[in-house]
Amino acid sequence: MKKIAAFALLAVAAASSACNRGAPPASGGGRPTVALVLKTLNHPYFVDMRRGAQEAADRLGVVLQVQAAEREIDVEKQMQIVENMIQTGIQALAITPSGSREIVSALVKARDARVPIIVVDTRIDPTAAAAAGVRAETFVGSDNYDGGKIAGDYLVKATGGNARVAVLEGIPGHETGDSRLRGFRDAVKASPGIAIVASQPANWERDQGFNVFQNMLQAHPDIDAVFACSDLMALGAIEAIAAAGKTGAIRVVGFDALDDAKKAIAAGTMAASVAQFPAEMGRAAIESAVKVIRGEKVPDDIKVRLELITRDNAR
Amino acid sequence: MKHARELGTLIGLAALSLVLWILTPHFLTISNLLNVAEQTSINATVAVGMTFVIISGGIDLSVGSIVALAGVVLGLSLHAGQPLAVAGALALVTGCASGGVNGVLVSYGGLPPFIVTLGTMSIARGAALLATEGRPISGFDAPFRAIATARIAFVPAPVVLTACVYLAAQVMLTRTPFGRYVYAIGGNEEAARLSGVAVRLHKTMIYAVSGLTSAIAAVILTARLNSAQPIAGMMYELDAIAATVIGGTSLLGGEGSLGGTVVGALIMGVLRNGLNLLGVSSFLQQVVIGAVIVVAVLLDAVLKRRHRA
Repeated sequence: MKKIAAFALLAVAAASSACNRGAPPASGGGRPTVALVLKTLNHPYFVDMRRGAQEAADRLGVVLQVQAAEREIDVEKQMQIVENMIQTGIQALAITPSGSREIVSALVKARDARVPIIVVDTRIDPTAAAAAGVRAETFVGSDNYDGGKIAGDYLVKATGGNARVAVLEGIPGHETGDSRLRGFRDAVKASPGIAIVASQPANWERDQGFNVFQNMLQAHPDIDAVFACSDLMALGAIEAIAAAGKTGAIRVVGFDALDDAKKAIAAGTMAASVAQFPAEMGRAAIESAVKVIRGEKVPDDIKVRLELITRDNAR
Repeated sequence: MKHARELGTLIGLAALSLVLWILTPHFLTISNLLNVAEQTSINATVAVGMTFVIISGGIDLSVGSIVALAGVVLGLSLHAGQPLAVAGALALVTGCASGGVNGVLVSYGGLPPFIVTLGTMSIARGAALLATEGRPISGFDAPFRAIATARIAFVPAPVVLTACVYLAAQVMLTRTPFGRYVYAIGGNEEAARLSGVAVRLHKTMIYAVSGLTSAIAAVILTARLNSAQPIAGMMYELDAIAATVIGGTSLLGGEGSLGGTVVGALIMGVLRNGLNLLGVSSFLQQVVIGAVIVVAVLLDAVLKRRHRA
């Protein structure tokens, strides 16, 4: 009976390795191996990032190991993956941290193993990193502040510098939302005709975007435009606008260019959204990793472009 | 028979290790084995308490949430300037008390453990989120982080801590009246009661033990991440149940062993580690881990049927 147990496990392990063609261990072939550890692989954003990284890896002759935890918030599992990847002797680690502070403990291990670190999409906490003596070779990502500014500039132009604006914020204290908000405010500051009449958190959620904006409309029936720090909140606001019978009368600008948002833009219920390019982030991450492995210098910050999606370029 | 089953699990672990040794040069190195042991320590610690509960015929779905709550209590206490000993004690008391509440509701309240611990799973998680406003508490000083980073004669401190928890629990389960009652309650609760066992008191203690081991796991986890997250420990209950079941403990209660559970946790740890080393896709990893759980339980069932026949 013990033999049965042993054989069963052997079979499972053998089956798993049989499915493993094309992903040789790190030491194979003399080609450098780079690990890309993502937050998750069940979100289109990260699937796109992986695609971009794989294309770059194929082009540059790098073996790419992509791993992700089962759940986006599971930073302990992400840490285990980093530890395991270090064991395989990877030459560089590219990572989208699931927790800006928590991941630093894992990066300490990479540093101790002399594996250079490329941080992608989400920055590590500078205080925690400094305290632990961890340094990333580079950060590859879009600048949320710039994204907010793009949205603000668009609104100024589209309204001729004259509008009463409502703002839907993300969860208070989240760096992502705070930066977008700062960028937006700085962009509209120069136009005295733009007045931000209301600004409240809707916590990144669609239903809260609906409720919060409905309340705002009660208090300020003359709102001309909305900036939402994410498309989900913007889509909620669009529903509230429709419920109030004001579709088309209020310009809605969002962030992320989700598919639903692009459809709304094409349909004319939404004015614009700021798009990020995860595939380009993945590509730039692998290119930087290769440069670091070759001993070339990389900039501290690699900014990936942002693009305003309007009716002209919404597909 | 009991020892034979334990040996079977151990052989399974050995076979799995052998396969990985053949497939990748990175598996059987001292540094990787210590790495696996360290990664397994948290699940193994939670699973020790889970084994008590499952042997007694119960189930505890709240362990992951208790890990989060105890971790948050620890983090808040440390940030409030409490000494490590006080903060640690508060965390352990939190775990023990949460488990105790489970136990009281199950034994004195006469409610099904599945429902009770499903409720406390949500309550403890909510309490952890409320206490922190949803934000992680991070940044602790070096003496506390040493719980995760120190090495005692080359062995990572979490592994030593888990080994101590295992030894203490092993003594409790095999050498004390309490341990015998755990098996007796799981084997036939009514018979245990009729033979004079204080069933309700001991059941309460069993769930308190589970809360306590969850809190110990929380201490390790918080030190490891240098952060106490209110969202930590999600799905830990399933990992702990899986380790226990792979280790040969019957979900029907009355039989099982801690040695088997630790080996079960190691099988899961080695499997995850090995699949990472081999570069297997993370989606396929979930399939393989699920398959191993099913195969282990299937074997157990087949063996038992043959034994009875």
